[in-house]
Amino acid sequence: MASQKIGVFVCRCGGNISDYVDVEKVVESIKGVEGVKIARVNMFSCSDSAQEEMIGLIKREGLDGIVIASCSPKLHLNTFRQMAQRAGLNPYQYTQVNIREQCSWTHTHDRDGATQKATRLVRAGIEATRHSEPLHPIEVVTRPSVLVVGAGIGGLRAAIALGEMGLTVHLLEKADRPGGLVGTRKALFPTGADGTSEIDSLLQRIHTLQNISLYTNASLVKKEGSIGDFSVSIRVEPKDGQDRADTIQLNVGAILVTTGATPYVPKEGEYGYGAKGIVTLREFLDLLDSSRDSDGIYYEGKRVRRITYIYCVGSRQKEGHTYCSRFCCSSAIFASLEVHKRSPDVLQYHLYRDIRTYGSLEALYQRALDQGSLFIRFSPDSPPKVECGHNGGGIKVLVKDLLTSKRELEISSDLVVLVTGLVPRVEQQEVQDVLKLPVGIDGFFNEIHPKLRPVETVVAGVYIGGCAQGPKNAQESVESSLGAAAKAGSILLKGKVELEPFVAEVDEGLCDGCGQCVEACPYDAITMGQRSDGTPVAVVNTRLCKGEGACVPVCPKEALEIRGYGHEKIRSMIRGLLTE
Amino acid sequence: MIKVNDSVVRELRSRGRFDASKCFSCGTCTALCPVGLPILPREIFRYALLGAQEELIKRQDEIFSCLLCRMCEENCPEGVGISGNIRLIRGLLNEKVLGL
Repeated sequence: MASQKIGVFVCRCGGNISDYVDVEKVVESIKGVEGVKIARVNMFSCSDSAQEEMIGLIKREGLDGIVIASCSPKLHLNTFRQMAQRAGLNPYQYTQVNIREQCSWTHTHDRDGATQKATRLVRAGIEATRHSEPLHPIEVVTRPSVLVVGAGIGGLRAAIALGEMGLTVHLLEKADRPGGLVGTRKALFPTGADGTSEIDSLLQRIHTLQNISLYTNASLVKKEGSIGDFSVSIRVEPKDGQDRADTIQLNVGAILVTTGATPYVPKEGEYGYGAKGIVTLREFLDLLDSSRDSDGIYYEGKRVRRITYIYCVGSRQKEGHTYCSRFCCSSAIFASLEVHKRSPDVLQYHLYRDIRTYGSLEALYQRALDQGSLFIRFSPDSPPKVECGHNGGGIKVLVKDLLTSKRELEISSDLVVLVTGLVPRVEQQEVQDVLKLPVGIDGFFNEIHPKLRPVETVVAGVYIGGCAQGPKNAQESVESSLGAAAKAGSILLKGKVELEPFVAEVDEGLCDGCGQCVEACPYDAITMGQRSDGTPVAVVNTRLCKGEGACVPVCPKEALEIRGYGHEKIRSMIRGLLTE
Repeated sequence: MIKVNDSVVRELRSRGRFDASKCFSCGTCTALCPVGLPILPREIFRYALLGAQEELIKRQDEIFSCLLCRMCEENCPEGVGISGNIRLIRGLLNEKVLGL
């Protein structure tokens, strides 16, 4: 039953809290509150010594619940849950009250007000612990198989990693052959490795692993179930001699999304695009790839002597594609080095906003400078103008050079390369709809946290890697896809996964089967089932439920509660907050 | 308006090692110059690289005022041979403009 012998610890956080909140007064004012057995002040609650002291008190005093008023639970919720567990308590009978971010740091000018607010928050915390019950994480058994959507360099590499872990891997590719953007490239920066043969060697490895199945011309059309046990349908387009598409049902424990991105295609007329002699970075790389053994650079049969590159086309825009595409500076400069090597007499002008050859890729930039490439910096407020073919002349690029006091330059060019970035693929929408994955403002799939949880999504068991998450170069795509593979592997190899127990519960005695909660749930976690007598009743799939709570207020019968956040507990917490 | 061309660079390279394209326009040379002229190595070299011979002619007083002290060269993060480049430009001006 509920906790009746509660220990309350109010933290000074050095002076972070106690400089602005009268912590002694907080402790005094909650002594005697129902259920509180002891209350005291800690210097640093998170320190080892304070934790040991609290564990000793819990055991000596026979405490059955605790409240710690300190920092944000984002920082130390798990620290203190683990401490409670070490002291023999159920970790869910611990409540953390945030009096640092919510009191001392926000009300530095008002000590009395901050102290009063802290007292009220602590009272609510005491009520939370008083009405808490021991809870246990939900344990879900996981299937040792995984679906990888997209067989570019990241998806292929992730599939091999998962296959080598001994997991069953289903690898889907929408196109008729795997490889993605890298698969057709002859020279990848920074080493000049042949993309085609890199992909071939990955495919060979995949064919030797019996537990990987590769489906080409295939797309994901349906997903049911949840982490550990998804049921998915894939559609395989008809091959020669077949007259209809196959639909294959698969059961997997996790899903990796490595669907990639696609090069930006400029609008007709954007920097003269569409006219002869004006090409995108991709088209220029194709041109270099198709003439590897040539001694010079030829465009439509004519020798090219002057190349002008315009950077950030379709990237870092004021509206639309506001992001930096990361790979394009390095890729264009690497291509210009190939040109310098093939024919040193070709003049190359790089019109840029900022050169972002980060990390060791800086060496490429240094080499290009050294070999005579000329870098001309323009302001985003006055982008270069491209004039093509007036009066039978060639292409002229006009630009104001920030490094020569904004002098206007006129550059005659045989070829203009628009250094284009990456944008989300149109086909990504299907995957987004089937998996219900959120996308960011740039249109790429969103991770939970860019630094701490970079490959996990809000849909448990679904991971993202490579350019599906945002523009990356080949190396970074492989890195993040392997990260996603490792995360998927960690839950599948363990054979089970633990989920937070905060899920919705239906009081069958109160539910009248109206179905409003089914509509309200954004995760499709509630369905309408039947009681033994045939009457309708809401049923919660605890593996899909996020405990987000949209169902609770819409229920006219108050038949739904989130476990650990029952109606009585919430009401008591509100009463605690309102007590003078 | 400067019509960008490689005539000056080609001419300079035929005379010796002109390595100013390594410059990434940080401005260290300008900041360190003891003569403190209004235009200094960084910008002179850019005009040369862009093929703006008239700009060099306009600035010949500055170009010939350089002490060749190599304070800038010692501190150039890119290792540009600044004094050597200045001499090459002087040679070009001597011949083309002053007819020496």
